[in-house]
Amino acid sequence: MLENGKISLRQFTILVTLFTIGDSILVLPSVATFEAKEDAWISAIIGMGVGWLVVCLLVVVSKLNPDLTFVESNKKILGSTLGTAVSLLFIAYFLLCASANVREIGDFMTTQSMPETPIQAIYVVFLCIVVMGVRLGLEAFARAGEVFFPGVILFFVTFIILLLPQAHMENIQPVLAEGIKPVLRGSISTSTFSSGQLVVFLMIMPYVNQPKKILKGFFTGTLMGGVALIILIIITILVLGADATSSNMYPSYSLAKKIDIGRFLERIEAILSLMWFVTIFFKIILFFYGLVLGLSQVLKLKEYKSLTLPAAMILMVLSTLIAPNITYYNNVIARYWPFYDYTLNVLFPLLLLGVYGLRQKLFSQSSDLE
Amino acid sequence: MLRKMLLLLLLGVMIFVTGCWNRRELNDLAIAVGMGIDKQDKQYKVSMQVVVPGEIAAKKGRGASPVTLYSAVGDSVFEAIRKMTTNSPRKIYISHLRILILGEALAREGIGKSLEFLTRDNEARSDFYIAVSKGLMAEDILKVLTSLDAIPANMLYNALETSQKAWAPTTSVTLDELIKDITSEGKHPVLTGIFINGEPQMGNSNKNVQMVDSSAQLQYTSLAVFRGDKLVGWLNEKESKGYNYIRDKVTSTAGVIPCPKGGELTLEIIRSKTKVKGSVIKGKPHIDIEVRSRANVDEVECQIDLTKTKTIAQLESLGDARVKELIDEVIHTVKKEYKADIFGFGDAIRRSNPKFWKKAKGRWDQYFVDLDVTVKVDGQIHQLGTVSNSFLERIRE
Repeated sequence: MLENGKISLRQFTILVTLFTIGDSILVLPSVATFEAKEDAWISAIIGMGVGWLVVCLLVVVSKLNPDLTFVESNKKILGSTLGTAVSLLFIAYFLLCASANVREIGDFMTTQSMPETPIQAIYVVFLCIVVMGVRLGLEAFARAGEVFFPGVILFFVTFIILLLPQAHMENIQPVLAEGIKPVLRGSISTSTFSSGQLVVFLMIMPYVNQPKKILKGFFTGTLMGGVALIILIIITILVLGADATSSNMYPSYSLAKKIDIGRFLERIEAILSLMWFVTIFFKIILFFYGLVLGLSQVLKLKEYKSLTLPAAMILMVLSTLIAPNITYYNNVIARYWPFYDYTLNVLFPLLLLGVYGLRQKLFSQSSDLE
Repeated sequence: MLRKMLLLLLLGVMIFVTGCWNRRELNDLAIAVGMGIDKQDKQYKVSMQVVVPGEIAAKKGRGASPVTLYSAVGDSVFEAIRKMTTNSPRKIYISHLRILILGEALAREGIGKSLEFLTRDNEARSDFYIAVSKGLMAEDILKVLTSLDAIPANMLYNALETSQKAWAPTTSVTLDELIKDITSEGKHPVLTGIFINGEPQMGNSNKNVQMVDSSAQLQYTSLAVFRGDKLVGWLNEKESKGYNYIRDKVTSTAGVIPCPKGGELTLEIIRSKTKVKGSVIKGKPHIDIEVRSRANVDEVECQIDLTKTKTIAQLESLGDARVKELIDEVIHTVKKEYKADIFGFGDAIRRSNPKFWKKAKGRWDQYFVDLDVTVKVDGQIHQLGTVSNSFLERIRE
């Protein structure tokens, strides 16, 4: 086995939560309110529901071969050639997801706090930590998640409480003014943002030490992450209003700027970006881990560490190349990416299940014939 | 060994690569606290009131002015700000902006375009207040030195906040609130006006603050009414107070009411809460305003027996009538003269009946002109201050 570590269920749950919050904490309110306006929070609830279905599907898929990672399981079910091809598709997906998230960090830093810094400088610094984390192995970064988690929760709760004085109930009314349609359209993006990329967890599920309880852990993780996002969307709308939220690139950052308690507790938006760094770090590291582990399994390498540096370099260049400018990036993320997510997170696992079922049937029939 | 060498090398490198590209030391910054935007021909004239750190430090400086003013003309606000580096030794830093003054001439043409920069730039925050200079250039306002607060922009910020809390006819508006009102279909914006009481030219020098009675003083006045982003007129003081009652922005104020037997009595409103509810009755929009306030008697200048509960009830209804009159008056004036829904009645209708609003929003200003508004005021008087009946009762003629 390439990975000898084992993580506990608790660590797994925390990773799922951090992954779900991921980059969404900064951009989701804007994406969700773009379609659903005041009702974006309903979209988020629907999104979480859809996310649970995805979770169920993924757990079922993982149960087919509980000891194998997704890449290995692909090979077993689909055969060597087809399995490898599908696995490469997923590896490319992990690569693209990771680079999109790295790009997001770069864009955010260069827009909000360091406009004159070359974006590559930010990529390099961030990727250094990611490479370091992955080289230390799954156990190490899962433990890091455990260490950071209470901090993230603490910051998040404080953040919400500090904003409560500025919340205006009028901003969220009227409920469902435009009917249910825009809400459903909004839930396309909310569902993918919060839990549409969970397929990467199929790469680490075999390493969880209590495989039987994995569904519960997965559920709890998406629930915690989803609830955090729903609360965030509600407070963003309550404080900023739907229009301002949707036109803002980073609404929760503007939200943090609004915190002002008695004129001494103010200008603390850097704390929000700190929190976001932590959550997006775990998102990137999981994608990156899936990428290098998957690739070394496909290539039948003895260890995956030798792939980390080259992969990080590719990632860095790809993050720059993935979109020529921010408008292009936002367009891709909002219009096309959800469907990319759905294809790989829902359609392919379903196909895999179908093929597995078919083979079982054929096998049992052929054995009957014998 | 190699590992240790590498570690040492890395430690050495750390000394040289601290900080980031964007570092801006405190002594490289020109901290702007006040900003003024005026129209000059077709261009913007932007003025920045910048703090002179040496003069406001605890150890007194040269005795020069605590702030200085840079201004530049440009095709856009940002261009003008950058052009200021031609007469300022440091780059202007706008994160600590306290007040933005918009010239009346600019406001009449429309303020939207001049505000875009402040919503987009990453240094700008939305926690400063915005006011309109009445009958003057915004630049002139920023030229006046103030006494109690050495930095005029700080004084403007605090004065606006205090006067809204304790006096009521002014209103503090931040950038995001203003943008929300400008873009909203159901509410037009208002901003507080500011002018110079005295000789504007005199405010420019330190002499202004060396006198007890400064010859030029900055003073807030009543509210400016906007339609969209264009200033269309001014409310007077009473109307401004009525506006703030409707918008639930009255915290505390003084209310003078006539006594039953002539003379006057002043109430101190200590708390007030307004609810605006919209409804549609038989296809016609309708607004209900409900004000609940609590007041104390704070000054009596008439013959009145405050020891009787009947008198208190009488005063309560007189107080209610006065608040109702303020509200009715401002609604009447705005309907008749400006035809712009500055009260957010449209938003109230939208919240209660989105279907009707969808049809009406295109012509809302016409609806607004014939809108039915019911005002209900419920004021309570709880305390009389430190004395019961006034000593005026016992003055020997």
